Amino acid sequence: MNTSVATSLSPAVHLIDDDAAVRESLALLIGTVGLRVQTWSDPQAFLEGFEREAIGAIVLDVRMPGISGLTLLDTLVAQGVDQPVIMLTGHGTVDMCRRAFKAGAAEFLEKPVDDELLLEALQIAVRQHVGSRRRQMADLEARERFQQLSGRESEVLGMIVAGLTNKEIARAIGLSPRTVETHRANVFHKLQAESLAQLIRQYASLVDGEAD
Amino acid sequence: MQLLRSPDRWWALAGLVLSLSGATLIARQAIEDEQTLFETDARIVHRLLSQATVQHDAILATLTLLQPAPDTIGATPPEQRLPALYPHILAVQRRDRDGRWNDFALDAAEAASRQSRQPTLVSVDFSTGRYRMVLAALPTSYALTIDLRAMVAQTEWPMDPLSSPVLVALAYAGQQYVIQTGSPQTMASTRGWRMEFHKHLAAASQPFDVVAVCHLGWAQLPWWRMLVWVAGVCVALSVVYQWWRQRRERRRAEELLRLGQVARLNTLGELAAGMAHELNQPLTAVLANTQAAQRLLKDDPPDLQTAQGAMTQAAAQARRAADVVSRLRQAIERPDASQVSRALNLKEAVQRAMYLLEPESRRRAVAPRLLAPEVVTVQADPVALEQVIHNLLMNALQALEQVNIGTRFIELVVSAQDGRGVLTVTDNGSGIPAEALSHLFEPFFSTREGGLGLGLNLCETLTHAMGGTLTGANAAGRGAVFALSLPLHQSSA
Repeated sequence: MNTSVATSLSPAVHLIDDDAAVRESLALLIGTVGLRVQTWSDPQAFLEGFEREAIGAIVLDVRMPGISGLTLLDTLVAQGVDQPVIMLTGHGTVDMCRRAFKAGAAEFLEKPVDDELLLEALQIAVRQHVGSRRRQMADLEARERFQQLSGRESEVLGMIVAGLTNKEIARAIGLSPRTVETHRANVFHKLQAESLAQLIRQYASLVDGEAD
Repeated sequence: MQLLRSPDRWWALAGLVLSLSGATLIARQAIEDEQTLFETDARIVHRLLSQATVQHDAILATLTLLQPAPDTIGATPPEQRLPALYPHILAVQRRDRDGRWNDFALDAAEAASRQSRQPTLVSVDFSTGRYRMVLAALPTSYALTIDLRAMVAQTEWPMDPLSSPVLVALAYAGQQYVIQTGSPQTMASTRGWRMEFHKHLAAASQPFDVVAVCHLGWAQLPWWRMLVWVAGVCVALSVVYQWWRQRRERRRAEELLRLGQVARLNTLGELAAGMAHELNQPLTAVLANTQAAQRLLKDDPPDLQTAQGAMTQAAAQARRAADVVSRLRQAIERPDASQVSRALNLKEAVQRAMYLLEPESRRRAVAPRLLAPEVVTVQADPVALEQVIHNLLMNALQALEQVNIGTRFIELVVSAQDGRGVLTVTDNGSGIPAEALSHLFEPFFSTREGGLGLGLNLCETLTHAMGGTLTGANAAGRGAVFALSLPLHQSSA
């Protein structure tokens, strides 16, 4: 059973619990703050059917028939699912809580859960996910721009990141400072960098990656 | 047959082996005793007969040595007085110088005697019990006629000739003279044990064999002593067996009790976990529905319809939670206490609990003291009462864990007060904190770390079901005192 409330662009909360009453009441509660809720009674159906690209969060009951919540959490992490997971449990032990956090849960809440706690946790989770997705996007774009650099330009970029001046770069690769100046301007243009600081922040890791 | 298959067969086997080996030993000892007795008697008989025969030799030697005095010829010769002195000498004959025996046998024997210079047998007739012997000498030879029957004096005979089972006889050249007949089966019976004795008499002149035979039949074995032994073994073994079985039963009972307690604790833990889940699900739904409704009503404009739906759901889920609780109560509800209650000796119930908790007491180095000056019979459910006393005593033991060993103290007092049976359990632990006093019997209230807080609650529930009361207070000085009051049994009230 799954219910789509809004467009696929708004954040979606996936709610997995085998108890229909719990599922529907929590869905109603989460819906009051404008979040789109998709409910699942069966963990397996959820694993096969949920939209992995969408922004959102997952709310998981620890105690379910078939796959336990903790096993499902392990499976999600292993499959590279990046939506934050909030675990719910009827009687949480310290050990269970520790295991959940170790496995990568974003939050661990006890049933019955207070609306403030759950909704706040969900909002933080969604915000986190949006942030991480944005960083991912930026990384992807940076990589694409980096691919457009010529061999000489990426060599110059590496030296800029390493902190060398134009003159030092010119001496190091046997070019005139003027030519180096041109390459440098091209690098800034192609990478759409506004400042040296931004250039280093965005591309230092890529340069290091190339060198390895 | 069932005994042989059961694990107790080793006891039966041990009894059998002990009985048989003991009885055999007794029988063998008896046979050996009989043998010794027989051989002693036979040796005495041999000595007595030998003495007599040696005496005959000596008499003959004396007679021949002295020779008749010349002046006594005509008068009664002195040797004729011998038969009067010795009952076994029937007659004395003599052959004077140039005289004759008028008996070929005597002539021949005398000739042989003269050659061997030893007394010599003349004739042996065991059918009449007589024999004759002669000693050749010069000028006068003497001959004796001996009566075997009189050779040994009755007073010296070691056995009672009438009742003794031993056959005693003299044997010589195929003849046999029976001195003592013994019991009839001595010769006839082949079953049992046969003892024999053969020995030549000491005097070479009378080469008779002493033969003694005794037969010990099965009937003569010391059956009574053997029977007493077997009975003794049976009695001793059954006493040991009973003791051993009781000990085993007791151990098993203790083991079962311990297992039962562990199982009960496990059940309680499972119950708590199951209850948490079963109650948490509807409570989660109730909370989420009501809070969603609150939020919907706060909206502008309020979403009344959805909020109403949420509240309906919340009510349904609250009912579901109530159902869980009532099902749980039905599941663990005890049968009516009045149906199982009966007259119980309160002191014995306390002793039972003390016995069961003995390992716990020993582990904490506490020796609970029981004071019960009078017999108090209460009306109670034995299981429930035992559980209550068990819990009270266990609580007291646990309260003493913070107290120095050596000063730990628990006192249980059984008494009858105002028509009720009262048990007080006093310890000198840290007592009950003031803030805990009013919560003592509330469920899930515990001052002990890791305590479920159900013990005293259960005690109170059980006590009330039996028509009793349970109170807890701080003792004068230090420690706590719990008082259990129960209705007395009707007939003793």
